[in-house]
Amino acid sequence: MRVEEVMISMGSFPVVTQKTILKEALTEMGEANLGLVCIINEKQELLGLITDGDLRRKLLKVQKPFSAFFIDDALIHAKQNPITCRPEDNLKEVVQLMGEKQIWDLPVLEKDNQLVGLLHLHPAVKKMLEG
Amino acid sequence: MEQKIVTVGYGDVKQVQIGGTLPLAFVGGPCAIENRDHALFMAESIAEICEKLDIPWIYKSCYDKDCRSSPKSFHGVGIDEGLKILSEVRETFKVPVVSDFSDASWAAATGEVCDMVQVPAYLCRQTSILRAAAATERPILLKKGQFMSPWNMKNSCRKLEAFGNEQIILADRGTFMGYNMLVNDMTSFPIMRYTGYPVCYDATHSIQLPTSMGNISGGQREFIPYLVRSAVANGINLLFMETHDNPSKALSDANTVLDIKYLENVLYQAKKVHEMRLELFNELGPDNVHPTIE
Repeated sequence: MRVEEVMISMGSFPVVTQKTILKEALTEMGEANLGLVCIINEKQELLGLITDGDLRRKLLKVQKPFSAFFIDDALIHAKQNPITCRPEDNLKEVVQLMGEKQIWDLPVLEKDNQLVGLLHLHPAVKKMLEG
Repeated sequence: MEQKIVTVGYGDVKQVQIGGTLPLAFVGGPCAIENRDHALFMAESIAEICEKLDIPWIYKSCYDKDCRSSPKSFHGVGIDEGLKILSEVRETFKVPVVSDFSDASWAAATGEVCDMVQVPAYLCRQTSILRAAAATERPILLKKGQFMSPWNMKNSCRKLEAFGNEQIILADRGTFMGYNMLVNDMTSFPIMRYTGYPVCYDATHSIQLPTSMGNISGGQREFIPYLVRSAVANGINLLFMETHDNPSKALSDANTVLDIKYLENVLYQAKKVHEMRLELFNELGPDNVHPTIE
């Protein structure tokens, strides 16, 4: 079974461009009800991502007013070079990797680093259990 | 954050490049255009000082002061006469010129003549004004409203970018502290510079005490050199100061405008501090103390 069989397709998970401010990125996350947002450039290459956990840690660290925090470019608060997978990767191996790294979501990239989907743990496990 | 360079000047005027580690530039002149002869006299006087100090400069004077405290105050010579005078200043001294505009319908004519257009501080959030400024395709001197935080100026920048103009210079002219009082937050410069755009310090409006004299504004001009040294040391790219040969008779901002007899002194200090700052950066590298804006 391959990752592309179960990944969430583009348009169905939060993705914003590099000019997006943090407030807008968080709104996207909230509307999609997913704990992550991917940030891409004009070529749809993945530049970074922000997770609920990243945000929680930022909130404890950031010292500036919230109004200044919210208007920062989302990218400066993003995790860069995150772990990713390929559409053709073996689903079981990727799910094992997610377990080892304690990751709930994994961006799926084509070979040219273009973002093409998101592997979310729940549907992946469900699919595997279905056999 | 990559720092943008903004070039001011079209045609055969002496272009001024602003931003990055370029030499400090100056923008100044009388607050309001009073008449043709006075404008030419002031331009000649400032040119002489800037040439002596080797400071790139832009002539600033406005044709319509739309935010005066009193209806009886001098409002300006008007757009037609004003732009004619600015055009003559520009041609005579080959210096770029800038004026603000307070009505969106004035923007196109202002941009046709002026090398840069200025958005007044009180109007820095007005979408119609920003759209009109962007449409001139000239560089834009965007004043930070006295009621705005430096980080919220990014919203205005994003509007200008959305309207297709990314030639922006952000200027701090003080922030309201309670009533009739302005203060300068020196962290505004690194914060606004984080947008990537050059930053400017408007010294003569920063020492203003808005409407402190009932129907006109006062000012504490004695603080100009202190604040200029601080702002330059904090990394501004452009210094803005209104200047006049006879401040007590100035038709606008008489209590804040810098007497031109002090201009050389203040500009000399500004240039020296700017050069010293660049020398320090050459020696030590850019600021790297807790290197994050978090």
